[in-house]
Amino acid sequence: MGTLIVLIVFALFITAILTGGYNKEAIEKFKKSKAWDWLTTVDHKKIGIMYFISGFFFFLIGGIEAIFMRMQLIVPHNDLFVGDTFNQLLTMHGTTMIFLAAMPLLFGLMNAVIPLQIGARDVAFPFLNALGFWLFTAGGLLLNLSWIFGGAPDAGWTSYTTLALNDYSPGPGIDYYVLGLQISGIGTLIGGLNFIVTVINMRAPGMTFLRMPMFTWTSFIASALILFAFPALTVGLLLLMFDRLFGANFFDHAMGGSSVIWEHLFWIFGHPEVYIVILPAFGIMSEVISTFSKKRLFGYTSMVFATVVIGFLGFMVWVHHMFTVGLGPWSNSVFAVATMTIAVPTGIKVFNWLFTMWGGQIRFKTAMLFAVGFIPTFVMGGMTGVMLALPPADFQYQDSYFVVAHFHYVLVGGTVMGIFAGAYYWWPKMFGKMLNETLGKIHFWTFLIGFHLTFFPQHFLGLFGMPRRVFTYQANVGLEQLNMLSTIGTIGMVIGTLAFVFNIVITFKKGAKAPADPWDGRTLEWSISSPAPEYNFAQLPLVRGYDAWFMEKQAGNKEMPAAEPLGSIHMPSPSFIPLLMSIGFFVSGFGFVARGDYSMGILGLIIVFIAMFMRSFDQDHGYHIEPHEIEEANKGVKA
Amino acid sequence: MAQQPNTSNHAPSGSSESATKHVLSFLLMIALTVVAFALVMYDIVPTNMILPLILVLATIQVFLQLFTFMHLNQKGTAFYTIFMVTGILIAVVSAVGIILM
Repeated sequence: MGTLIVLIVFALFITAILTGGYNKEAIEKFKKSKAWDWLTTVDHKKIGIMYFISGFFFFLIGGIEAIFMRMQLIVPHNDLFVGDTFNQLLTMHGTTMIFLAAMPLLFGLMNAVIPLQIGARDVAFPFLNALGFWLFTAGGLLLNLSWIFGGAPDAGWTSYTTLALNDYSPGPGIDYYVLGLQISGIGTLIGGLNFIVTVINMRAPGMTFLRMPMFTWTSFIASALILFAFPALTVGLLLLMFDRLFGANFFDHAMGGSSVIWEHLFWIFGHPEVYIVILPAFGIMSEVISTFSKKRLFGYTSMVFATVVIGFLGFMVWVHHMFTVGLGPWSNSVFAVATMTIAVPTGIKVFNWLFTMWGGQIRFKTAMLFAVGFIPTFVMGGMTGVMLALPPADFQYQDSYFVVAHFHYVLVGGTVMGIFAGAYYWWPKMFGKMLNETLGKIHFWTFLIGFHLTFFPQHFLGLFGMPRRVFTYQANVGLEQLNMLSTIGTIGMVIGTLAFVFNIVITFKKGAKAPADPWDGRTLEWSISSPAPEYNFAQLPLVRGYDAWFMEKQAGNKEMPAAEPLGSIHMPSPSFIPLLMSIGFFVSGFGFVARGDYSMGILGLIIVFIAMFMRSFDQDHGYHIEPHEIEEANKGVKA
Repeated sequence: MAQQPNTSNHAPSGSSESATKHVLSFLLMIALTVVAFALVMYDIVPTNMILPLILVLATIQVFLQLFTFMHLNQKGTAFYTIFMVTGILIAVVSAVGIILM
């Protein structure tokens, strides 16, 4: 504690010397700067962009970790990254990709698009939205700082006990996992809750539930899954934290605990989690396929029904991750049947996408390419999923590369391709510029070919007996060629991702300005300018049917009919409290990782409570945008 | 749907929203809690009956809470009910799964 105070005072001195003491002008200037604007924003579009950027940053980190692992496995008996380092790489790759890449990238798209799709001016709780983002960022940074301070977690992304307990994992690695995920998990829970309330309460007049766009529907169901699944993770992490930091024995069987409880809690959360990341991707695909086939989504009602059923069944199947734990034939059979049932609603979805394309005027823009590439890739992952759902067969496949191939086919082939499709589709609406189509096509083809080259051989590696999570393998048992192929395949994915990065850079430098409706869209977000104005809709639109904007275009209307007269628009004020609160949690998390002295951990929690107190007594009623300001802005755009 | 937040939950529902009713159910809840404590502290009932009795008292209290303080007896609570029932269902399945399997 003493050292900390000395450091803080020293930092204040340095700042004072550099800025020349308390300088009102400098502070005013900083408060007017762009950085302050972004740090304190509560605007869902800006938060969406920040989610997207930080998610993509973590996606690159997770990708680098994957490349390192494939480099180690390129030849037998390699010694590039062995033992603990390899374990750290595989743990951080899984954790980063699921929690810090897939979820925030989807949250970014959800934030940017859902309020526009349902005709709302913002999400239901703009403050909580900002808080969710900053908490996720704080947790993600804490988790990744483990590389620098004390070693990354190395017990797998599932972090099974007893391995994750103090006896077998000394050092701070697992503590970073527990606290980092706990903090970012609070953020995710807040975000999910926010979207549920937004979809229920903030829909424009006439936007009934069965007129909602498919992406809004799937995100709504995914948010409900977050609400029900994340508490299980929170409880599990809390128990693990008590076991590791405070000497409790929840998972220590020698002291009367049970290590299987962790597996249950983790997978009660973990299985819905994979639906949380795939359902919004399904929604993106539905939007993209429908728009670029110029057809109404085939079987819209059955799509909604299938989404709800998948969400519900997602909670009834977690034991299929634990077939070999030894819970008995009865339990394995029940959960095997439940698991195979999920193939039915998923099949409904796949056929609906195919029927939507059938007879449509298909335009193969990059977004559509990703959607079309997604269907066969995802179906292959689904097929191996049904194979794994059979307990007797699963005893053979489990912990082999077959499982690795399966979940990469559904997660990369499903979620990542969905995110890329969504990025190309909504980029104009998010940033007001058009991504380059040629680079987009290079991105798609290299990524798709590289992906299949990487992961298709892994099915056979698994069937030939190569275990997952092991850093090397024997020569002359038939594993060399396929491993070599698999590593070569990553080059394709790297080139694809680099093409995407390059595309983003040149789009920012000299991209064409996006029109309001570049793809001949069908849903409300395309009825307003790109990027959307701060208040989204000058007048709330009146929705008269499914695919509301397309309907109006068919009827010859140039814009949506208004549901209200032009009036002053109430906006929430920006706030720095979300950032302050997240910094508090970050400091606290770091404090608890540093075992023994908890003063810093408590200091962080004090910051959190001060921030909560400030928020509770904050007398801020927001501000208004008056109609004449909107008209002036519109004139500027039209002229 | 309700775009203005102030039109959502404050529909007057007649005589059921009186201060007396709130005070009465508040007292009743305190009484229920006291009874539960007393059951554990003094040997009023046989030991093996304590747990079931406390569970019964808890159930009564949950319903009291939901209806008087969380206004589930009013109209327009379909979403709360859907989400609560789903949550309870998932919790029950998870708990049964963990205990029995």
